[in-house]
Amino acid sequence: MAAGPLKVVASFSILGDMVKNVGGDKVRVSTLVGPNADTHTYQPTPADAKTLAQADIVVVNGLHLEGWLDRLIKASGYKGPVVTASEGVTTRTMIDADEGGKKITDPHAWQNLSNGKIYAVNIEKGLAQADPENAATYAQNARDYTARMDKMDAWVKASFNAVPRAKRKIITSHDAFGYLGQAYGVTLLSPMGVSTDSEASAQNVGKLVRQIKKENVTALFIENMTDPRLVENIARETGVRPGGELYSDALSAADGPAGTYLDMFKNNVALMTKAMNRP
Amino acid sequence: MIWLWNIFCAPFAEFMFMRHALAAVFALALGCGPVGTFLVLRRMSLMGDALSHAVLPGVAAGFLLYGFSLSAMTFGGFLAGLGVVAASGLVSRLTPLKEDASMAALYLISLALGVLLVSLRGNSMDLMHVLFGSILAVDAPSLLLVAGVSTLTLLALAVLYRPLVVECFDSGFLRAVGGGGSLAHMLFMALVALNLVGGFRALGTLMAVGLLILPATAARFWAAQVWSQALTATGIALLSGYFGLLASYYWNLPSGPAIVLTAGCCHIISLVFGPRQGIAAQRFLGKKPA
Amino acid sequence: MIAAPRPVSLHGLTLGYGRRTVLRGLCCRFEPGTLTAVVGPNGAGKSTLLRAMAGLLRPREGSVNLNGMDARQVAYLPQQADIDRSFPISVLDMVALGHWPQVGALGGMTAAQWEDARAALAAVGMRAFAARGIGALSAGQFQRVQFARLLLQNAPVILLDEPFTALDAATTEDLLRLVRAWHDEGRTVLAVIHDLDQVRSAFPLCLSFMEQQPVMGPTACVLPARTFHMPTQDHGTAPTESTQANSALAAAPVDALPSDTLREGASA
Repeated sequence: MAAGPLKVVASFSILGDMVKNVGGDKVRVSTLVGPNADTHTYQPTPADAKTLAQADIVVVNGLHLEGWLDRLIKASGYKGPVVTASEGVTTRTMIDADEGGKKITDPHAWQNLSNGKIYAVNIEKGLAQADPENAATYAQNARDYTARMDKMDAWVKASFNAVPRAKRKIITSHDAFGYLGQAYGVTLLSPMGVSTDSEASAQNVGKLVRQIKKENVTALFIENMTDPRLVENIARETGVRPGGELYSDALSAADGPAGTYLDMFKNNVALMTKAMNRP
Repeated sequence: MIWLWNIFCAPFAEFMFMRHALAAVFALALGCGPVGTFLVLRRMSLMGDALSHAVLPGVAAGFLLYGFSLSAMTFGGFLAGLGVVAASGLVSRLTPLKEDASMAALYLISLALGVLLVSLRGNSMDLMHVLFGSILAVDAPSLLLVAGVSTLTLLALAVLYRPLVVECFDSGFLRAVGGGGSLAHMLFMALVALNLVGGFRALGTLMAVGLLILPATAARFWAAQVWSQALTATGIALLSGYFGLLASYYWNLPSGPAIVLTAGCCHIISLVFGPRQGIAAQRFLGKKPA
Repeated sequence: MIAAPRPVSLHGLTLGYGRRTVLRGLCCRFEPGTLTAVVGPNGAGKSTLLRAMAGLLRPREGSVNLNGMDARQVAYLPQQADIDRSFPISVLDMVALGHWPQVGALGGMTAAQWEDARAALAAVGMRAFAARGIGALSAGQFQRVQFARLLLQNAPVILLDEPFTALDAATTEDLLRLVRAWHDEGRTVLAVIHDLDQVRSAFPLCLSFMEQQPVMGPTACVLPARTFHMPTQDHGTAPTESTQANSALAAAPVDALPSDTLREGASA
């Protein structure tokens, strides 16, 4: 129907990368929430509305990840198809830290590669519907892509299985790795109360130190701390250094360590297992 | 008895970061007690706050020249603070403008200049954020910095003590006997700048200024001589640090504010119950001789 | 015990603040061991003169010549000391500062020096107040303490600016006794005094700014016998009309004085 490539708008960078892989050169992808940005708290701009208005098809995550999207779609006047990538995924619940401990559905389903495959299939179906001429191409691309995901999945499983069960724990302030933990047998602990902007209390720092020591955790991933020297202090006291930078809600810049969905896994899992394997 | 130890000592025994924090606050208290006493006697209590803003152009210059080098920014901040302090002293000696007014004027100019410099490159929030530490994050270099500053301060004050005292309360006499009061005062102000910038770097503005002023204002209600006020101020600062850290530990309060609020409580208690012209002392015992 | 004072001479001394000239071209000489009162209306430049002699005010023109003495041998008591009375220092500590010329900024004080400080306090009748803070003193008591500090400074030249203003008779009498003692010890003493009767009774020499031109000489000659209060004429700014320098005559025998300085009823 459309002359030229299909104009696809993806809600955030991970989806955008998936669409590129499935659509190939038959699609032109615009991403609303770019690399290193937070999808949960994103504030859409008028430019976004314009982009949406001109889109042929929109791909979103769903599971209430993009709370701001419905209003944006209405505002832009977009009337075309909306593909929910997470359709058919088995979900899990999580505690919503921001809303004060309410139980909600965990939207970060892409952190399990099996779900990633479902995402790819949903995207392929949506593209084929919008652009039946190239349906065969999309199907082939999707097959290749899911094959690569399988390979990555095998590697991830092997990496984690190489780590003794007792050491398969990480402390991270990201709340996005629930599906990964569930799929690959990794225990996730959240740092007790030590975070971002506010000044730490001695009680919280003490709790974190105790937690690390008690659980014998060697994988510590806390970025965003106010003072890197505080992290240094914790590291010195527990012998555990921060393990590096993980990417959970968004990709890095294209030339960064996690520029694509699969690279993101490679980066994260490598860092995690390296930290876990420390004595 | 063991429960006493559990409450008051166990947190420090268990955690290294608590021990380091305590060491840092002790080192800071040793310098801040005497310096704060003189500052209050000299009627310059608001200077600490002004100085925390005045250091910005120095920090910005350090950042522009050397990037994110913490030592360059700290040193630049110190120079800027020193410059403002020296300039305000000079102005107050050469013109009718008193030191507090010229200080206010200069720190505002300095701050505006700093913001301007910073806007050339980088975000001022990031710069200041990085410059100011927090007591739980104190590491070996910061501890050394604070300890070094305190030692230098105590030595310098031992030398400057008499001229400073006389310059404070009878500068005419000092001039008449040729005592070099201006020099003593300038050196003292350099010490103030040093203590503050070192304190900012290691422990944050709130703590550095808080421990400088509050123990000194409290001490005034207990002690009748300069040296005993300085000693009392140091003691109050030490106690505030210790109990503030415990409060942060047991009641889950941010550590810097907890310490400063403890010092604040000491101040209020001293104000009301201090034997030397405290409110209670004045009302119930009649005005006691100083 | 004290170094014998040398004469203090003023050469063409011109003093002022900002744009105001307070004193112009004063030439004068204070011989060693003299006790001189400085009298005159407000604004005549008496305090200014003392400040210049104490080394606190730089002359516009001319000079103060100490003839070999150094500045620390001139002790100065200002008119209204800018002393922070709320400062937490004890009376004894304040008096002990009188030892500054000997101990300086860093020197320790010996037990003997502390004893001297206490003795000085006793000499002004304030020994019991040694441990009190200076804020607890009345005006008269505080002035005594300042005199004690002067005692301790042991200076050959002592300058007092309105030392007895606003003091009660008993305190004034006690402190005057000290001044006389200083005179007997051979120190040079200069005091700005407003009470002319006091000047007549206690001060042999007088430097007067009451007329257009400053005059110095024996009190009986310089001061009119019947005036019981200060003349109300205010010199305001210094005599600027006269083009010649105002020169006061040195303390000379009476007959050497020009006739117009003699007053009716005055006699040696």
